[in-house]
Formats: sequence, structure tokens, C-alpha cells
Amino acid sequence: MNLTLILFFFPLVAALLVVLAWALRRPRGPSAQKLDLECLEQTGRRHATYLPLIHQALSPRDSSFLASQGSPDLLRRVRKERRRVALAYLTGLHDDFQRLLRLAQVVALLSPDVGVAQEFERARLSLQFSWHYQMVRAGLYAGLLSLPRLDALSHMVSELAFRMESALKELGERAALAAKAASSLDGRSVDIA
Amino acid sequence: MFDLKQTQQMCWEFSLLLRFLLLCLLLFRGNIRSFPFFSLYLSVNFLQALLVAATYKVWGETSAIAFRIAWGSEMLVICARALAVAELCRLLLARYRGIWSLASRVLLSCAVLVLVYSALVSKHKWSLAVVGASSALELTIAAVIVTLLVFLRHYRVAAEPALRALALGFCLYSCVAVLNNTILERLSERYYPVWNLLGVVAYLACLLLWTWALRKPVPVPVLGPMLLPGSVYRQLSPEINLRLRLLNERLSQFWKVEAPRP
Repeated sequence: MNLTLILFFFPLVAALLVVLAWALRRPRGPSAQKLDLECLEQTGRRHATYLPLIHQALSPRDSSFLASQGSPDLLRRVRKERRRVALAYLTGLHDDFQRLLRLAQVVALLSPDVGVAQEFERARLSLQFSWHYQMVRAGLYAGLLSLPRLDALSHMVSELAFRMESALKELGERAALAAKAASSLDGRSVDIA
Repeated sequence: MFDLKQTQQMCWEFSLLLRFLLLCLLLFRGNIRSFPFFSLYLSVNFLQALLVAATYKVWGETSAIAFRIAWGSEMLVICARALAVAELCRLLLARYRGIWSLASRVLLSCAVLVLVYSALVSKHKWSLAVVGASSALELTIAAVIVTLLVFLRHYRVAAEPALRALALGFCLYSCVAVLNNTILERLSERYYPVWNLLGVVAYLACLLLWTWALRKPVPVPVLGPMLLPGSVYRQLSPEINLRLRLLNERLSQFWKVEAPRP
């Protein structure tokens, strides 16, 4: 019995079919089908802007105050609500990260020459970020992560966004201009995404 | 009663008709200019079907000469299919010069790797060597298409639905062919009627998908987007990657600090 062949080909084909199904699935978000030019013209800071508000909402002093003054039911409700807010914020930060990543992809698409190492590294980093993000999310759901520490994550993203803002602004405008010019050459909608 | 041979014969005749219809569609909808290698593949495939039918009629289905002609011409068809797949990759990505240069290298490496590895793994009998080679080629085609679609998704390149349908057809047929051939190598002659029927049905499904995809002329844009100066990528890409790397490092530290809580 040629088991080697079956053990080699069957799992490989199954894996290919799984990746095929994933690759054919429509990416989430409105910008998946067409490149959102406004998204390019904006820069990477959106959800990070709400950092002080989120920080206030997640303050441990509020919890202590509620624990001493309010009922346990109220405290539970507030914790639940805070978790919901934290998760929504985390999703927003993820969107910001994705937008920055998207910009990098658009630059690659519009470049006459791209670096293999750069592109592979970005793909690896993107996978890594997704993995970490899911872990943090799962941690929040499971109650393993304390909510106030979330601002450490938001600082990372906001720092990234602030430092890249000036560089990306100029680039975003240029990319959007190039995309608009290309779309008018094609005579139809923008086709770079 | 369900007769394997009769069903297979009916499906095969229907597939022959569909191949002819698809060729006509390519010709009359003007798609032959957009897909020259796909048209070549279909023509070779159509002619091979006629040749095999004639061979079976003259020498019989079980004769050695019919076996050699059928499998020899099958290798030719698979090579034509590989060309059609290469054309599909070019149509989908070649407008983006930088990405295409990267993708073509990755796709070629992937093809060589899968081909060599499949050939090494297949310790088939000499009589089934051509089946093994065919499996290796089919697996290579499937792997290349999946990698191409991953590229499209990663860079969110909007592909024409017709091109996606062509790619899907090629990939699904190749996957079925690999599994079918693998079982054939294991079970040999006992499996032959089922192998034949499955192959024909899978190809029929694939032809239906392609016919639907090519029912209208497919616009293949010649002009690509206006490109940015090369310096923009060289300047910005390492910067973005550095930031992403820092972000990932910090994110992983964030988790490491928080996770071991009791």
C-alpha cells in the first residue's frame, strides 16, 4: 500500500483547499473592493485620538470608588460595560494598524520595484500582529488582562501613528494623486484595490 | 440501474460539446485575444479528446498503444494548462510591475518546489510513472493558483470575476485530479472506472464554470496604474516595517507581562 503518497497528497490538497477558501473570501470592510482614496489622504491617527477618553473610562480609581460606594450589581454592570468599550477600542486600534498596513501595500502596488525581504517581513509582521491582537482580545474576554493596562497597547499604536504622520501625509497625497490619475487613464473606477 | 461506464460516456460526450461551445465563445466574444494560451489549452484539450476517442475505436480501450497515446497526449494537455495558468497569473498581476516581479519569482519557486518534492515523494511503479508525473504537475498548478489568490488578497487587488472563475476552475480540477490519481496509484485497475468518471465529472463542472465566466467579453486592461517614483518605496517601506516590528515586539511583551496571572 502506497501510504506515503496518500499521506503526502491528501493533507496537502486539504490545506490548499482551506487556503483557497480563505483567499476567495471577501475581505471585511468597505475599502476591500475599491481603494478608498480618502483613507490614503488621511493619516494613521484616528482611534488613538480617543486615548484620553478611554484612559478616563478605564481608570482603576473609578472601579475602587464604585466598589466602595455602589452595589455589586452596579460594579458588575460597569465592568461589563468597560470591557465592551475596551474591546471596541481594541478593534479601533486594529483598524488603525490595518490602515497603516494598507498604505504600505498601496505603496508597494504603485511602486515599479519592491523588495522581497521587505514584503515578506511585512507579511510576517502582519500575521504576528493579528496573532497578538487575537491573544489580547481573548485575554480581555477571559478576564486574564486587566483593562487599565490596555492603554499600554494604545500608546504603542498612537506613538506609531504620531511618528509616521508627517511622512505618511505626504505619501498618502501622492499615492492618491497617482491613483486618481491612473483611474482616469483606465476610464473606470480606481482599480488598484 | 446506475451504470458507471454509460454515465461516464454521457458526461464525456457532454464535456466534448461544452469544450466546443467554450471555444466558440472564446472566438466570437473576442476573448481569444485576451486569453491566447487559455484558447490554446482548450484547443489542445479538444483535439486530444478526439484523438483518444479515435484511438479507442481503432485499437480498443485496453490496448498498450491506446494507453501510450492517451497518457502521452495528456502530458501535452497538462503542459498547455500550465501555460494557461501562467497567462492567468500575468493577466491578474502584471499591471503592478513591482508586485508582479515579486509574485513571478515566488510563484516560480513555489512551482519548482512542489514539482520536485512531489516527484521525490512519488515512488510509483514504472507503469504508473506518467500518472505520478501528472499528479505532480496538477499539484503544482493548484499550489501556484492558491499562492496567486493569496497574493491578490494580501494586496487587495480587485480581480475580474471571470479571471477568478477561471483560476477557481483550474485549481479545483487540479485538486480533484491529484486525489483521483493518488487513489488510482493505490488501487490500480479496480479503481479505473471510478477514476474515469470522477475525472470527467470534475472537468465537466470546471467547463460549466468557465463557460459561465466567459459568456461575455472579458475586458483585460492594458494600462496599469501610474507608478510612484521608486525612491518612495525605498524610503518608506523600511520605515513602516521598523515601526511594525517595534509594535509587534511591544505587543508580545504586553501579553507576556499580563498572561501569567493566576
